[in-house]
Amino acid sequence: MAASAADVRSILSIPTPSASTSTPQQKKPQAAERAKKPDGIPRELYALIGPSAPAIATQFAKPRLKQKPNLGSGGRVKWEWRPFKNAARSDGLRLSHWAKGSTEPDADYPWAKYNIQTAEYVYSQDEYSRLLEDQEWTKEETDYLFKLVREYDGRFYVVHDRYDYPHADPRFSPRTLEDIKDRYFSVCRKLVRNRPWAGDEASKNALLSSLSFDKSREITRKQYVKDLETRTPEQIIEEDALYLELEKLKENERRFRKDRDELLRTLLGIESGLPDLPIDDEGLQGPSVEPKKKKKGVASSVEPQTPITPSASNVISLAQPQPPKKTAKSAAYDILHCITRTDASQATKAPHQPVHLRSTKIPAVKPPGATQRVAQVLNEIGISHNRLVMPTAENIARMEPVLSSANSVVDMKKSLDKVEQDLRIAKARLAALRGETAEEGSGDAPQTPMEVEEGADAESVAGDRAQSVVSTKSTRSRRQI
Amino acid sequence: MVNYGGDEVSALVLDIGSSSLRAGYAGDDTPKAIVPTAFGYLEEPASSGGDVAMGEAGAPEGEQPAPPKPKVKLHIGQNGPSLWRNGMHVGNPMADGLVQNFDSIPPLINHAFTDVMRCNASEHPVLVTEAPWNTPANRERMAEIMFEEFQVPAFYIANTGVLNAFAAGKGSALVIDIGQSTASVTPVVDGFVLRKGLSHCALPQLVHAHAKHMLANPTPTRPAIQLLSHQLIASKLPVDAAMPPRFQLRDDRIPGTTDTWRAWAEAHEVDEWIQSVAGVLPQGWNEQAANQQGSRHYEFPTGANYYFSGAERYSVGEQYFTHSPQLIASNPNLPKTIPALIVNAISSCDPDLRGVLMGNVVLTGGGSFFAGFADRLHTELTRQFQIVKVHAPGNPTERRYGGWLGGSILASLGTFHQLWISKEEWQEHGKAIVGQRCK
Repeated sequence: MAASAADVRSILSIPTPSASTSTPQQKKPQAAERAKKPDGIPRELYALIGPSAPAIATQFAKPRLKQKPNLGSGGRVKWEWRPFKNAARSDGLRLSHWAKGSTEPDADYPWAKYNIQTAEYVYSQDEYSRLLEDQEWTKEETDYLFKLVREYDGRFYVVHDRYDYPHADPRFSPRTLEDIKDRYFSVCRKLVRNRPWAGDEASKNALLSSLSFDKSREITRKQYVKDLETRTPEQIIEEDALYLELEKLKENERRFRKDRDELLRTLLGIESGLPDLPIDDEGLQGPSVEPKKKKKGVASSVEPQTPITPSASNVISLAQPQPPKKTAKSAAYDILHCITRTDASQATKAPHQPVHLRSTKIPAVKPPGATQRVAQVLNEIGISHNRLVMPTAENIARMEPVLSSANSVVDMKKSLDKVEQDLRIAKARLAALRGETAEEGSGDAPQTPMEVEEGADAESVAGDRAQSVVSTKSTRSRRQI
Repeated sequence: MVNYGGDEVSALVLDIGSSSLRAGYAGDDTPKAIVPTAFGYLEEPASSGGDVAMGEAGAPEGEQPAPPKPKVKLHIGQNGPSLWRNGMHVGNPMADGLVQNFDSIPPLINHAFTDVMRCNASEHPVLVTEAPWNTPANRERMAEIMFEEFQVPAFYIANTGVLNAFAAGKGSALVIDIGQSTASVTPVVDGFVLRKGLSHCALPQLVHAHAKHMLANPTPTRPAIQLLSHQLIASKLPVDAAMPPRFQLRDDRIPGTTDTWRAWAEAHEVDEWIQSVAGVLPQGWNEQAANQQGSRHYEFPTGANYYFSGAERYSVGEQYFTHSPQLIASNPNLPKTIPALIVNAISSCDPDLRGVLMGNVVLTGGGSFFAGFADRLHTELTRQFQIVKVHAPGNPTERRYGGWLGGSILASLGTFHQLWISKEEWQEHGKAIVGQRCK
C-alpha cells in the first residue's frame, strides 16, 4: 500500500516530501521493479503481489482490442476541383466540377453521350417540286414545320403549341395537330420511298410503317375521346348503373351454374366426366350484354375438341352433364392419343371411381392360396406377374386370360395329382390284398406314407408337378426350391 | 454518381417572385438566401418626383427615360421595408409575376449573392427563373444584367412552370401555382410549357382586397379596424374582445410615413390576418357549415381584438373558387377563379393530353398554403374530372420554393451543362441566343 501512495505521487508528479536521502534509494529499486513488470499484469495487481508473480502471469498476452476493419485499400481519395470540356457543347465553355484525382483530366465528359440527335429529313428544292407539292402547304411553311420538329425533337404536342407561321394561308390556319403530323409524316414517307435505300426491304418497310399516319382515323379517334370526356354526369351515372347491372347478372349466372354443378355431382357422380365439362372462359370474353347466349356458344364449340385440356384460370361447370356422345371424331381422337375410357358404371358398382393407376387393377389370382403356384407357372413362361412393365389396357386385357389359364392349369394338375394318388393307393391296397407283388411295391411303398403324412406339403409337391407339366427343367428347379 | 445523373458545377439558382427572391446553390434542397422582393428607398430631395416609378403593382412605368438617376438609397433585405425610416418609400420590381422595373433588380441580386451568400457571381454559372408568360424582351434584359453586370461565365433562364414540374419529379404536369400576386395554371408536356393552355390572373390580389375590404369597413357587430402596423404604435393597453382599442400612436413618425410604406404595412397586416384566420371550406360554400367551424380570435397591433365568425373567415377563401353574382355584376374585369383557370387550360390542350395532365396536377406556391386550399381544390377537380391526382408537397420549402427547387435539380444535372449560354456565345450571338437556347 505504501507503494500505491508513491504511485499516486508519481502520477500526479508531486515531488516527494522533503525526505531523507533514503527515499531515492527506496524509490530506485521500485522503479527498477516496475520496469521489469511483465506484460499482461495490471499495474495495481503488480503493486500488490510484487515481483513474485506467478509464472503463468508472464505468459499473459498483451490484451488487444478488436482490429479495426481496413476499409478501402489506398487510404484517402484525392478529389480535385478541375475544369472539364463538354463534348456536347460547341463553344469552349469550361465549367468546373469535383473529380477524383486518379481520373484522366482529359477524359470524355460522361454525360456528353446522352446528347442524341434524332434522325432528320431534309429535302432539296428539286425533290420538293418533284415529290412533295401539296395543295395546302407551301414550301416555306413546310420548311417552317420541319424546322420546328427538329427544334423540339419531334414532340408534336409542343410543335403544335408553338406553331405560328407568320404568312399562314387563312384557309388552312390554324393548323391542327393532325394537319401537322399528316404533313410531316407524308413528306417523310415520300422521301424514304423515292430515295435509294441502302438496307434491305424489310427495314425499309419497318421504317415506312413507323412513319405511317392515318389522319382521318386519328381525327375520329380524337372525336371519340372528346365525346367520352363531354359525357354529362347523368350519362356517366347511367353507364355505371348499367355496368353494375351486368355484373349482377353475371354473378347470378355463375351462382346458378355452381348450384347445378353441385346438384349433378351428388346425383350422377363425377363419372359424368369432369374433364369433359365445357369450360367457362368468362375471363376471356369481354363484357357482353347477353352472357347466357354467349356462354352457350362457347360451350358447344369448346366441348368436343378439347375434352382433357382445361385452359388456365377457368371455372369448370356442368353445363353439359350427360356423358358425351362418342362421335366418330372423338373416337378417332381417343385412338390417336391412346385414351381409353372405362365405362365406370360397368366396371364397378361404386358411384364414384377415383383416379387410379391401371397397374393396380391387374386382376388377382382367384383362390388366394394358389397365388404362389400361379406365379411360378408364369415364371416358367417368363412373365413377371407382379410387375407389368407396360400396364396398358391391351396388356391388361391379355394378362387376364393368361392368368386364368394358368390358374386352370394349376387346378387341372392338382386334380390329376389327386386322381393319380388315389389310383396308386388303390393299387397298393390291391397289391396288399393280393399279397403277390410285395417286391414290386417296395419301391413305392415308402413314398406313400410320406405323402399322406405331409398333407400340408402336398400342395407344394403338386405345384412342383404342375410346373413339370409345363417345363422340362422341372427337376432342376425343384431342387433349387 | 452516374446513377442519378448529377454533376454539380456549383451553379447558382435565382428565383425572383413577387414576395421574395430566392437564391442558392444548385444541388441544395433549400435556398441559401431568401430576401423580400419589396425594398425601401429614400430619395434625395433633389430628385423627388423622379421615382414615382416603383409604385404599387400594375402601374405602367417601364418607359421612364431616366428613372432614379439621382441618388436613391435602397434598403434591401430583412431590414429593408420593415424598418421604419423617415420618408422611406417601398417599391417592388415585380408586378403580374414579371419584372417590371429592372433598376432595382441588380441591387437585389447583388444583396442575395454578395451580402447573404457571400459568393462572387462571376465564378458561378447562374440559372434564373421566369414566369411562363415572360416576354422575350424581359428575359433578354435579365441575360444582359447577368452577363454585363455580374460577369457570370454562363447563364440560363428556365420557366417556373417546368421547374415546378421537375421539383415534383414529373416531366408532364399541370402546374397550379398560387403566388402572392398571381395565380397561374400551366400545362407542361415533356418539359415544355404549352403556351396555348397557359392561363394566369391576379386572383390572390382579389382575395387580398376582399379581406382588406372586410377588415377596413364596419360591420353590424364591429367597427372598422385600423390597420396600423406596430412600427407606428408607441404603446397600447390590453382591452377585451370587441372593445375599442386603447393605444398611443407614435406621433413623431406619422408625418414621415409615406403612402407606399403605409400601403405596404397595411398589406402586411392583412396578410398576417389571412394567414392566421382565413380559410376555405373543403366542400364548397355553405354558410351553415362555415359557421359551424367556429370563430377565431385575432389581435391586431393596435390591441383591438375580435372573434371572427366562420362565415367571415371562410368567405375570404371562397373568392379563390367562386365569385358572388353581385361581385361579378359590379366588376366586369374580375380575375378568373381557379376552376375556371383549370378548365381554360385543359380545354385548350389536346384531348389526348388531358388525362395525363389531370393525373399529374402539381400544386405549388406559397399562396397554396391557404388553409383548406388543397382539399378544396381536390374536391373541385374531382367534381369536374374523372381521374385526378393532385401532388401537393406537405413540406413548406418544397411547396413555397418549388420553382427554385426545380432549378436546383436542373442545374445540377450532368446532361444539363450543354444548355448553358456561355459568355462566349453571348458575345458572339447577342440577345438572340437566349430565345434559341431557352425554349
